[in-house]
Amino acid sequence: MTTIVHSETDHAMPSGPLRVRKAGTGRALVHLHSAAGPRISKVIEALADHHTVHALFMPGFEGMPKHAGVKTLQSLADLVAAYIEKECGGECDVVGESFGGWIALWLAVLHPQRVGQLVLEAPAGLRANNKGGLPEDPQARLKALHAKPEQAPKEQRSEQVLLGNRKAMSEYTGGVAFDDSLAARLGEIKARTLVLMGTLDKVIPSESGQLLKARVPSSHLTYIWDAAHALEFDQPKRVSALMLDFLDRGESFLVRPASPAA
Amino acid sequence: MHFSFFHLMPWTDLDEAPTEWPARNGAFRAEKGTELYKTYIDTMAHAEACGFDWVGANEHHFSPYSLMSNCNVIGGALTQRTQKIKIAMLGNLLPLLNPVRVAEEYAMLDVMSGGRLIAGFVRGIPHEYIAYNVSPDESRGRMREALNIILKAWTEPEPFGWEGEFYQYRAISIWPRPHQNPHPRMLMSASNKESAAFVGEFPAMVGLTLIGDLDVARGLIDTYRESSLAHGRNPGPDDILVGQGTCIAETDEEAQEEMAEALAYFHKVLMRPQQDAQRIVVQKTRFFGEGASGAGAGEYFVKRLETLKQRSIKEQIEAGTILCGSPESVVKQIKRLNQHLGAGHINMNMKLGTMPQASVMRSMKLFHERVLPEVRML
Repeated sequence: MTTIVHSETDHAMPSGPLRVRKAGTGRALVHLHSAAGPRISKVIEALADHHTVHALFMPGFEGMPKHAGVKTLQSLADLVAAYIEKECGGECDVVGESFGGWIALWLAVLHPQRVGQLVLEAPAGLRANNKGGLPEDPQARLKALHAKPEQAPKEQRSEQVLLGNRKAMSEYTGGVAFDDSLAARLGEIKARTLVLMGTLDKVIPSESGQLLKARVPSSHLTYIWDAAHALEFDQPKRVSALMLDFLDRGESFLVRPASPAA
Repeated sequence: MHFSFFHLMPWTDLDEAPTEWPARNGAFRAEKGTELYKTYIDTMAHAEACGFDWVGANEHHFSPYSLMSNCNVIGGALTQRTQKIKIAMLGNLLPLLNPVRVAEEYAMLDVMSGGRLIAGFVRGIPHEYIAYNVSPDESRGRMREALNIILKAWTEPEPFGWEGEFYQYRAISIWPRPHQNPHPRMLMSASNKESAAFVGEFPAMVGLTLIGDLDVARGLIDTYRESSLAHGRNPGPDDILVGQGTCIAETDEEAQEEMAEALAYFHKVLMRPQQDAQRIVVQKTRFFGEGASGAGAGEYFVKRLETLKQRSIKEQIEAGTILCGSPESVVKQIKRLNQHLGAGHINMNMKLGTMPQASVMRSMKLFHERVLPEVRML
């Protein structure tokens, strides 16, 4: 893998400034972060080895200002669509992690022309009967997020930033566990979609992945063995290898390529 | 209590013990093989009429020890020869096999039998890993991952893929799904504390076989119970199965004499070829785990087989490792197992080594007529 250089730029969007961390070269790929905020993972670095990764900072996260007209998940999706139109040639692949997966789903529903292929990592917003969710206690939360806490990124952000991230998440989602409006429109998604779920995930139940597989027309559901909710940190090699194969080969990723001769 | 009739399907015609593993197969004769399979399957089907609750078989490779390289084939035959008895596959050597194939074959057996499958999963005895060229070091990891794939294959409502350490599948959706809901009853074996704790992680019965003595077996059962409780299940006596070589005759003397002769062939001929392969695997790999506990478990495994081989029939009866004697004696031995181990299920292997077919049929008859009525309500 080549050395990956990340650079951050604030883009002036009609609703306000949008910070984007870019890395790599190749076909554009938008990465939408989880409620934990944008973090550099080995998965993002592996993606950047093949793509130009645009990791978007959602307004209100990481100390960035909120945008006056952007208050819902749908309006976040509109903002991402406007960015793709402006900076990614009008269409690109999209990877959404948990909360980012929720936004990515709305993006695919509302702006199908902006999304090439879609990868959802344990997407939030479809927790039926309030199953799962994040515990309040920090230790319990860490355990729920990471099957391998030693691989979790060392937290270097201030408590104020982290509180701001949680507040932003809460305001966008309104504390809703199951997004009925979204669930009703999953059948409209045109993008070929790969849904990844950790076998040890207690935050997003496997039923969420099953619902997506049942309702999104061209979708694949894959379980990542020995991973909890934070897939990119628990199993970066498995996640990135699978994701890159899917992004590279599309539906052909179902077929195993030939092994090199011995 | 519940009882299972188990068959190892041994090859009975070797004059000399093979000294190497794998055992040379030049001595195999197809006509004799066909005859043995017919006799063995007839006997297993007959277990239903003798009041057994299960009829079982397992899997072994490259040895006259057992003509059962895939017990599911025998299970398939039994689904068509029986009506009510459970078909117990005890079990498939999961780390050696494709877990999706195992999920499929077990689902087939469950549907073909109308929901009578007992789905056994075992890690197997060490030398089997050489047969299928799988590293013994990976056995526990493969076992755990494969079990999780199978549970998902049986229960997932949607097609799914799997990205794991040992197994990768891009799409799984088995046809048929199992008959039993949510899945067939499962059984896993335990021969040491680590494996007993492992079984408790899953919704499975525990099976103990070739036990060295009752106190060791009791310790394993306690470990299984503790692990099950920690995983939200409270196993009862019917979740504990103990395997026992069994011979029942009119008198203790007759049964002991027959058992001695049959076990001599079993230990000296059928078990001989795999000893070297077993020793290499136990000594040179991490089959039993890392460090002192792994070495201890390996040492115990080898010692247990040696101990069983050297004991007299009376010593084995006393140690609680076989059931042997008149119907009245066997009733007492079963009651002792039930009391000491809390085991609610006994798996009887009556075709030990060269045990004559007539003796097997007699043991089954005496079990049905004079043993079962005395122990069924325990």
